[in-house]
Amino acid sequence: MSTATLTNPPGIFPPAPNQNRWERAVPVYGVSVFNKFFFLLVGLAILSGFLTIYREAVGLGPASGMNDKFGWGIWKTFNVVVLTAWGSGAFAVGIAAWVFGRKRLHTLMRMALLTSMLAYACGLCLLGVDVGRPWNFYWVLFPWNWNVHSPMAEVAICMSVYASIPLALENIPPILERLWHFDVRLQPVVEKLEHALHKFFPFIVALAYLLPGMHQSSLGALMLLGGQRVHPLWQTPFLPLLYVGAASFMSFGCVAGVTMLCCLVWKRPIDRDVLEEAARITAWIIFAWLVIRNLDLLFRGALFTAFHPTEYALIFWIETFLIGYGGWLLLQSLKDRKLRTMFLGYTLSSVGGMLYRFSPTTLAYMPGPKATYFPSVIELLIAIGFASTGIAIFLVMVKLFAILPAPVQEWHNMALYFRARGPYSNWTKYFNFGFFGDTEPTESD
Amino acid sequence: MRNESKTLALKPRRKRTDVAITRRELITNIAKAGVPAAVGLTVGAEMLHAEEVPIPSAPLGLLYDASLCIGCKACEAACNEANNTPPDTSRDGLHQAPTDLNVFTRNIIKLYKPEDGSQSSFVKRQCMQCFDPGCVAGCPFEALYKDQDSGVVHWDGDKCIGCRYCTIACPYSVPRFQWLGLDPVITKCELCSHRLAKGLKPGCTSVCPVGAVIFGPRTALLLEAKRRIKNNPGRYYQDRVYGETDNGGTQALYLSRVPFDKLGLPDIGPESGPSSTLRWQKRIYSYFALPAVLYAALVTVIRRNQHGHEQEAHQQEKETGLRAQI
Amino acid sequence: MGNACAEEGAKMSKQPTIAEHLEASGVSRRSFIQLCSMLMVTAPAGLALTNKKSVFEIAAAIGKTQRPSVIWLHFQDCTGCTETLLRTSTPDVAHLILDVISLDYHETLMAASGAQAEAALRSAMAANAGKYVLVVEGAIPMKDDGVYMQLNSKPAVQVLREVASKAAAVIAIGSCASWGGVPSADPNPTGAVGVDSLITGKPIVNLPGCPPNPYNLLGVVLEYVTMGKLPQLDEVGRPKFAYERVIHENCPRRAHFDAGRFAGAFGDEGHRKGWCLYKMGCKGPVTHAACSTRHFNEIADCWPIGAGIPCLGCTEKNVVWKMGTFETVPIHLATPPDTYPPIYSSVGGATVGAAALVGAVAGALGGATYVYSQRFQSSQEAGAERIENARAQAEKKED
Repeated sequence: MSTATLTNPPGIFPPAPNQNRWERAVPVYGVSVFNKFFFLLVGLAILSGFLTIYREAVGLGPASGMNDKFGWGIWKTFNVVVLTAWGSGAFAVGIAAWVFGRKRLHTLMRMALLTSMLAYACGLCLLGVDVGRPWNFYWVLFPWNWNVHSPMAEVAICMSVYASIPLALENIPPILERLWHFDVRLQPVVEKLEHALHKFFPFIVALAYLLPGMHQSSLGALMLLGGQRVHPLWQTPFLPLLYVGAASFMSFGCVAGVTMLCCLVWKRPIDRDVLEEAARITAWIIFAWLVIRNLDLLFRGALFTAFHPTEYALIFWIETFLIGYGGWLLLQSLKDRKLRTMFLGYTLSSVGGMLYRFSPTTLAYMPGPKATYFPSVIELLIAIGFASTGIAIFLVMVKLFAILPAPVQEWHNMALYFRARGPYSNWTKYFNFGFFGDTEPTESD
Repeated sequence: MRNESKTLALKPRRKRTDVAITRRELITNIAKAGVPAAVGLTVGAEMLHAEEVPIPSAPLGLLYDASLCIGCKACEAACNEANNTPPDTSRDGLHQAPTDLNVFTRNIIKLYKPEDGSQSSFVKRQCMQCFDPGCVAGCPFEALYKDQDSGVVHWDGDKCIGCRYCTIACPYSVPRFQWLGLDPVITKCELCSHRLAKGLKPGCTSVCPVGAVIFGPRTALLLEAKRRIKNNPGRYYQDRVYGETDNGGTQALYLSRVPFDKLGLPDIGPESGPSSTLRWQKRIYSYFALPAVLYAALVTVIRRNQHGHEQEAHQQEKETGLRAQI
Repeated sequence: MGNACAEEGAKMSKQPTIAEHLEASGVSRRSFIQLCSMLMVTAPAGLALTNKKSVFEIAAAIGKTQRPSVIWLHFQDCTGCTETLLRTSTPDVAHLILDVISLDYHETLMAASGAQAEAALRSAMAANAGKYVLVVEGAIPMKDDGVYMQLNSKPAVQVLREVASKAAAVIAIGSCASWGGVPSADPNPTGAVGVDSLITGKPIVNLPGCPPNPYNLLGVVLEYVTMGKLPQLDEVGRPKFAYERVIHENCPRRAHFDAGRFAGAFGDEGHRKGWCLYKMGCKGPVTHAACSTRHFNEIADCWPIGAGIPCLGCTEKNVVWKMGTFETVPIHLATPPDTYPPIYSSVGGATVGAAALVGAVAGALGGATYVYSQRFQSSQEAGAERIENARAQAEKKED
């Protein structure tokens, strides 16, 4: 095919085939894991490890800025409430792909699953660090002891079950795939496992959509018990619904935005059609969400407080602006076809969504006239360290396994790349040239 | 080619003529029937099982009359002694002078002193022993539980995971977490239950020199409070007892000359926090009916989509010659 | 009385024990035990005698002790410290000087004068050399070779040195003897100083106060008599049982201080209600003494603050005569807080480091977003350029 055949501007008939069409997940090759950014992340992760030991040794007081009035610090309110929502791509993108049949989004699924797994794993590990008496968590195994009406129970149990069972199972296929390529002797075992996964696929995946729907909304229900202590601009009986909605558009921002970023950084072709579909869906979720939220404010009679000159009104407007403008930018990017606009749209709406989910727990939480909270340095470093761990593991995983989507041609490019470098000199082990037999055509073919 | 996938070897789909009803149709039908049922169940849950708050059989309580209190803080010292807690001397290293409830301080005397010199008042703050406590509603593993007879809210260290949700859920900000140490506890007044078991009264009420805080069955205390209001018209704020219906009713009752909210007792209204906020949460999840039905529906839809997805994957496998990725 | 003691002291070479002495004086055993019970009663505030569990133990201890010889010197004094000794009842001064100690020289109480008095002093010093207790009342002038106070034409400082040289212990009673007292007040024309500025090498017990409570002295003396040692002293030589705490710590009006109820002036409403005198310049918070628990004349509230007069701080060298009567003193950390906690206390807050870290992270992420969004722009433009070039080339080829 001539390289001169390119995507025509819209309106030109017949529409040219999408040269960059994502068809397959391909590992990131030719890029070393070890670079300055990676070392920075690992350094932060190790630092947070030591600081976690310190926290376990002395207690929560010296290691954090939490106090009697603000019992929850950023470990819960940010790394769990915000970051797991931002990383709930497996839920939102998955539902769009598998329940609403948006087929083009299937190429993003592996990215969504990986980001979700890491967001949940890091969030739940940090939750384990944050609770004061973790040795009593074994009660989760005895359902008759659960307080089923408690949103906290729902969150703790549901997130643990979700992350450890459906999400983990959904993340196994890329690993199995690589094992299949790795060694011929492993193939029968791998195929058996894949077959089993395939058989139970609907049941696992349905659980993977039900459970996050439950706990992302329960994360919102948590602050319902805050009552009057949460500012009326946020406190509403619809808080669970709004939290799930926010998680949806945020996670689209995460998956699509991170995929765009990865393709940019590692110079991979970007499939416009997929991204435009995602952007369209995200924008409509955002606008529906904004309508529901503001109608709720209107009918509760709380909207007027947004016009008082208080810091809460300011936060509300910043939130609304970020989310609304982000959504508008996403729609705009469909018209002007600029990736920059789309990227900014995802970023702004994600940040706005993060602010929305964070506010009722901390910024708009008023337990007393003179009570304030600000995280301490150690608390911040631990939170950043855990997040860095997630990012570092992500960077390793995309290079080890086929996660990032690409055109089929990219797979062949990868094969050629490894062929050129010779056997034993690569470490993705997708192709073992000359050892277990050639699996890819050579350039001369 | 070896890349012909063996993993995606699909079982041939059962045709309609093979069986009376396919699994898929069964699940679909369940979903069709179940959704209305679940909705009905959820909405009708209010009628099916009343969302009442169980009232303890013989609730015990305290009646604190702020107009009688002289601020001697004997109750603070007696509370520490009764509970075998060291006093909070963090302020100057010498004297017990806590500024708020904490791990060492289960009850505290605070002073409301208005800047304009109008009527000031002391207030004794401790656990309100609510009928529908926010802390009990929020605790994930029932570490905080309400005694069915005396109505006292207890904390069980064997179940607590230290999540501190109780500190957020309590509208009076009563449970306090221990921020230092390896075995952090949640501390709050438990009405000296260990003393009640021995036939003694709680520490604070045993030493109050003027009888500002008294102990007894809640019904008796409520009668006494109303008697005081009747016999002293105009003395007490709004001629009412705080806790009679506030927050769904509390077992610690308050009388005061100054407005209750000035003493840090918020105006919550007669509905307790959990009942007004968790109502829909309870309904949606009652009997797990709705989630179960939703799950069935999801399985159905996903199976249908999976079928189409697999066909496409097969197609692609043939085109590209590469092993399909599931 | 004093004469008899002096003669007795002069005549006897071997001192009888207290038991023998009382028997010889015709004091019945019963009266002796009564005396001992009086001594036990003097045991409040942790005096040394409390380690004896019964009267009979005290009787046994005292019975075997010889009455110690006490020489009492007066220098620049008002005799107030002697006067204060008269206001005791357990034991009263009669019992004290007749049965417990042997007061061999006391200018106010002894009957002798002139040469006889001087002789009594000499013989007491000779007979009990190294064993007598020297009690000093009044300051010692040092200016102009000490001419401003003389005893038998000898300057006070010389007398002090002579008598102290053979003493077993020295008790400086009163602020004057402890650190100079009234005579040392500005401008201190006589150069008055306390005993411990002049005497070294001897155990010195300071009992400041103007006058001190007589039980301070009695406690020291009785401990010495029954246990043979002086009580625990603080860093300026004051016995801890009486001078360890400040007035403020045990003041009966403390509740008023804690609640913020102060008298403003003599006779105002607060003053008449007995409120705290801190704002009127009470030096209680900085004055070490036991007056707030052990009042004077054995009558409750018979002490300055009890009478509505702010404490002057008469035991403290840096307070009385140095600060104004109505000048308020700072309250140090050692005293408890003087307010109740408010309904809402402030809690939590940001540290500079944390705020800086948050700012840094936010800045980094914002910067990264900007940089990458620009890269999208430029890569797209580069891509578009490539498209344009290729299109142009393709068109050229087709031409």
